[in-house]
Amino acid sequence: MKKLILSALCVMAMTSCETQKSLYSWYDSEDATYMYTKRATEETLAKAMAQYEKVISKQEGLRKVVPPGVNAEYGYLLCKAGKKEEGLTLLRAEIKAYPESEKFISRIINQLEK
Amino acid sequence: MKKYIILGLVALLMSSCAEQITRLAQYPKMYEEKPLTIAVMPPINQTNFVEAKDYFYTTLYAPLCEKGYYVYSPMMTMEMFQAESAYDAELFIEGNLSQFRNVLGADAAMFTIIKSWNRNKIGGSLTAGVEYILRSTKTGETLYRREGLISVDTSINSGNKGLFGALVDLAATAINTAATDKVVAGRKCTLYVLSDMPEGKYGAKFDQDQNMPAGKSYVKATVR
Repeated sequence: MKKLILSALCVMAMTSCETQKSLYSWYDSEDATYMYTKRATEETLAKAMAQYEKVISKQEGLRKVVPPGVNAEYGYLLCKAGKKEEGLTLLRAEIKAYPESEKFISRIINQLEK
Repeated sequence: MKKYIILGLVALLMSSCAEQITRLAQYPKMYEEKPLTIAVMPPINQTNFVEAKDYFYTTLYAPLCEKGYYVYSPMMTMEMFQAESAYDAELFIEGNLSQFRNVLGADAAMFTIIKSWNRNKIGGSLTAGVEYILRSTKTGETLYRREGLISVDTSINSGNKGLFGALVDLAATAINTAATDKVVAGRKCTLYVLSDMPEGKYGAKFDQDQNMPAGKSYVKATVR
């Protein structure tokens, strides 16, 4: 009986301290976008875009899907860099993955298609 | 010996559960409205650190996504806010938010007020004080509000004793503190303060975290 109580208490104590795995893999994207915000140069932009590519192509978080907004942000940057079709495809992918984004992203797509 | 272990574990469990308020009791409107989409508003900066507004903005996106919410792309929304004269969140913090629902489709808007952001080279710390307010774009109600004063300990302790050791540590602490980007304090503050926020639709504990403990509405802590 004592053993059982001891085991139960141990389990409870352990679970109260458990850490949760991330929903998404972010890699260094937070740092890269921060550096781009801090100093917008071609170099910081290239680093941010490389991180977006990684986040999109390699997801190892709990959800195994691209985080909200990343397809859209990377697509938007590609459009601004002259890669319009590639960018629009990613913007549409954002709506497909997250239908709740449609109102905002459709507005952006319409502006870019003009 | 077993008695002591059991007593220790019971004490640990009791102390971790003492006087804790549940998330449902602390943030009932979060569970009533169940917002999915969040627009992060440009921070309101009450400090002399002029870049704080833009820098701090970048710290909010990932933690809110990790809480299970759909968060609009910070770069795209910031451009839109600037183009539509919505860069000053002071104008909206107590006003009508329906336009953010109509234009973005946002269920809620996250406002932040940066109250302090300091670097202490001698003591070896970076401190950020920020209030987080999530308001519904549908009802205008405050769904979540919490404030934190979070210090990041950047001190170095080499373990060397004596006056020389203390001087070396002092110099190393000053260098380490100066070399650490101030944004680190902002990031830690956001992570710490939002840790008790109820999870959104994409979170693993969505609609199952009502009985989990909520933190105090004002939190002060030091982290590494």
